[in-house]
Amino acid sequence: MLKTILAAIFSAGTFNQMLRSATPVALAALGGAMTEHAGIMNIGMDGMILMGAFFGVLGSYLFGSAAAGVGLVLLMGVVVGLFFALFVVKFKSDEFIIGTALNTFALGLTSFLSRAIFGASGTKGNPALPTVHIPGLDSIPFLGQVLNDNSLFIYLTWLLVLVMWLFVYKTPYGFWLRASGEKPETLRTAGIAPEKMKWLASILCGLLCGLAGAHLSLGQLQGTFAENMANSRGYIAFACVIFSKANPAMAYIAALMFGFFDAIGLRLQDYISSDLTNTIPYIITIVMMVYVVVRSQRKKRYAGKRLPAKQG
Amino acid sequence: MKKRIISLLLAVLMIAGLLSVPVLADTEPLKVALVVAGTFGDRAFYDSSKEGLDKLAEECGVEPITIECNNENHAPQIRNAADEADVVICVGWEFYDVETIAPEYPDVKFIWIDNATSEPVENVLNITYAQNEGSFLAGYIAAYMSESGIVGAVGGEDSDTINDFIVGYEQGAQYFADKYETTTEVVHNYSNTYDDPAAGKECALALIDKGADVIFQIASAAGDGVFEAAEEKGVYAIGVDSDQKYINEDVIICSMKKEVGDSIYAAVSELLDGDDSRWGTTWVADMSSGYIGIGYGEEGSEQQISDDLKAEVADLEEAITNGEIVVETTR
Repeated sequence: MLKTILAAIFSAGTFNQMLRSATPVALAALGGAMTEHAGIMNIGMDGMILMGAFFGVLGSYLFGSAAAGVGLVLLMGVVVGLFFALFVVKFKSDEFIIGTALNTFALGLTSFLSRAIFGASGTKGNPALPTVHIPGLDSIPFLGQVLNDNSLFIYLTWLLVLVMWLFVYKTPYGFWLRASGEKPETLRTAGIAPEKMKWLASILCGLLCGLAGAHLSLGQLQGTFAENMANSRGYIAFACVIFSKANPAMAYIAALMFGFFDAIGLRLQDYISSDLTNTIPYIITIVMMVYVVVRSQRKKRYAGKRLPAKQG
Repeated sequence: MKKRIISLLLAVLMIAGLLSVPVLADTEPLKVALVVAGTFGDRAFYDSSKEGLDKLAEECGVEPITIECNNENHAPQIRNAADEADVVICVGWEFYDVETIAPEYPDVKFIWIDNATSEPVENVLNITYAQNEGSFLAGYIAAYMSESGIVGAVGGEDSDTINDFIVGYEQGAQYFADKYETTTEVVHNYSNTYDDPAAGKECALALIDKGADVIFQIASAAGDGVFEAAEEKGVYAIGVDSDQKYINEDVIICSMKKEVGDSIYAAVSELLDGDDSRWGTTWVADMSSGYIGIGYGEEGSEQQISDDLKAEVADLEEAITNGEIVVETTR
C-alpha cells in the first residue's frame, strides 16, 4: 500500500507537474521580489498574471504567432507597471488598496475584452510557445524525463532567476533598488532618487508577472484563455516572496515547493479527501510564515547575545 | 446663447425619451431573470441555461435578465433578481438560500436548477437531472473504447452533484466489464476549480500517467484543459452537459448531454400557458423525458464510435428508461 502511494508520488509525472505548476508562480514571485526590495507591498500580482495570460493569447490570436503574443505581454507589462507605480509611487496611495483594485480591474477588463473579442466561451488553440528538446538529455534516466521537452518558459525562468539574482545582489542598480526600500533617505543623500528605483521595480514586476501569465496561457496551455484563470497564483507568489525575503533564488525554490505539493496533492486524492488535499498550499503557506517569524526572532536573539560580548 | 439652446434641446430630448418608453410598451412582457452561480463561457452547464433563456426571449417574447454571481454573493443576487423579475431561475447547486428567500417574494416564481429544497416551497420549482443515468452510458462507452482497461474522470469538486456523475460512470464501466468478462478500472480526481483550465489539464495528465486512455470531464471551463491534455497525449475525452464535440472533434468522442436549457424552456413556456402545477415540486429531468443522453456531435463530424456501439448504447438507454437497469445515485 505505502509502496504504491510512494511510487505514485515520486513518479516522473509528479516532477513534471511540479515544474509546470511552479513556473508561473516563480516568474510572478521574481517580479514580486523586485517591488518587495523597493519597499512596495505588492498584492496586485494576481491581476498582472491574469492580464499577461489574456494579452498573450490576444497577441497570439491577432498576429498568429506566440512570439507576438509575448511581445504584446511585454508591452502590457510595462504599461501595467507604470500604472501601478503612478498610483503607488507618484500619488503615494495605499499599496494594499491599489493592489486589490488592480486585481479587480484585471478580472473585469480581461473578462470584458475576452467576451468582446472571442465571445463568452473564451478562446483556445491559438499558436502556443514551443517545447524545447535538449538532445542527449534523454539518455539520463528519470532526470531526462523530467527536465527534457518542457515548455520554453520553464528554461527561460531558470535564466531569469540567475539574471535577477545577479541584478539584485551584484550590480549597483540592485544595490540602489534594495536601498530604496530599506533606507530611502540614505539613497537620496547619495544623490539617487529612491522613487526612480521604485518605478523601475514596478515595471520589472509588471514584465515578469506578464510573462507568468503568458506561460500559463501559451506554455502550460495551448493558447487558451478562460476568465479568472490566474486562480490565486499571484497570492501564492506573494507568499513565496515573503518566505524568500525577496531573494530570487529562494523564491524559485519556494515556488518549486508549492508546485511539488500541488502535484502530490492531486495524487493523494485517491487516499484522502480532495477537500483536504486542496488545503495543502495554504498549510504550506502557514508553515512558511511560521518559519520566517521564527528565523527572524532567532536572529534577533543572536544579535542580542553578541552585543555584550563585544563590549566586554 | 447657442450653448443654452443646445442644452435646452438636449433636456427636451431626454424627457421625451423617458416619456416614450411607457407609450411604446403596450403589454408588459414576462421578465425572466437567469442567475448563474459561476460565469458564462463554460460551453456547458451555464451556457446551456443561457441558450434556454435566449430561446424563450426569441420565441415567447419574455424579457431576459442575466446575472453572473462569479462564485460569490449568491443570496444577494437572488434578491436582486427577485426585485426585478417575475421568474427567477437559479442555475447551480449552490443556491441554498432560495429556500428562505422565496417565501419573501410570493409573487415571484423561482426555479432552482441542479438541486432541491429540503422541503417543498410553494413558489419554487426544483429541477434536478439524472446525470447518473447519462454518465452510466458515458462509462460504458469509455470502457468500450479504452485499450488499457483504465478510464478516468476529472470532477470539478468533491460534491454530491459531481459525484452523481462519477458513480454512474463507474457503474457503466463496470457493466461493460461484466458483460464482456474483462476488467475495467475507473480512476478519478477533482480539479477543485471550475475556472482554471491549467488545473484541469494537470488533473487529466495525472490520470493519463496512471494509464487512463479515455477521460470524462465534469469540470466546466477547467475541463477545457482536459481536452488539451487528451490531444497532447493522444487519448480520448468525453464532453459534458452540452454536445461538446465541436470543441475538438478528433479528441472528444461523445458528450454526456444534460439539457439544462431545454428543461428551462419547457418549464417557463408551461408557465406562459398558464400552467404552474410544477411549482412546489421537484422535477427530475431524466433519460426517459429526453433531457439526459449521449450526443455524438453534429452530422458530418469525425466519428470514433462505431455504429455497433451506438446501437448498444441505444439498447442500454432503453433498459434504463424502462427500469431494467437501475443506476446508483448520490442524491
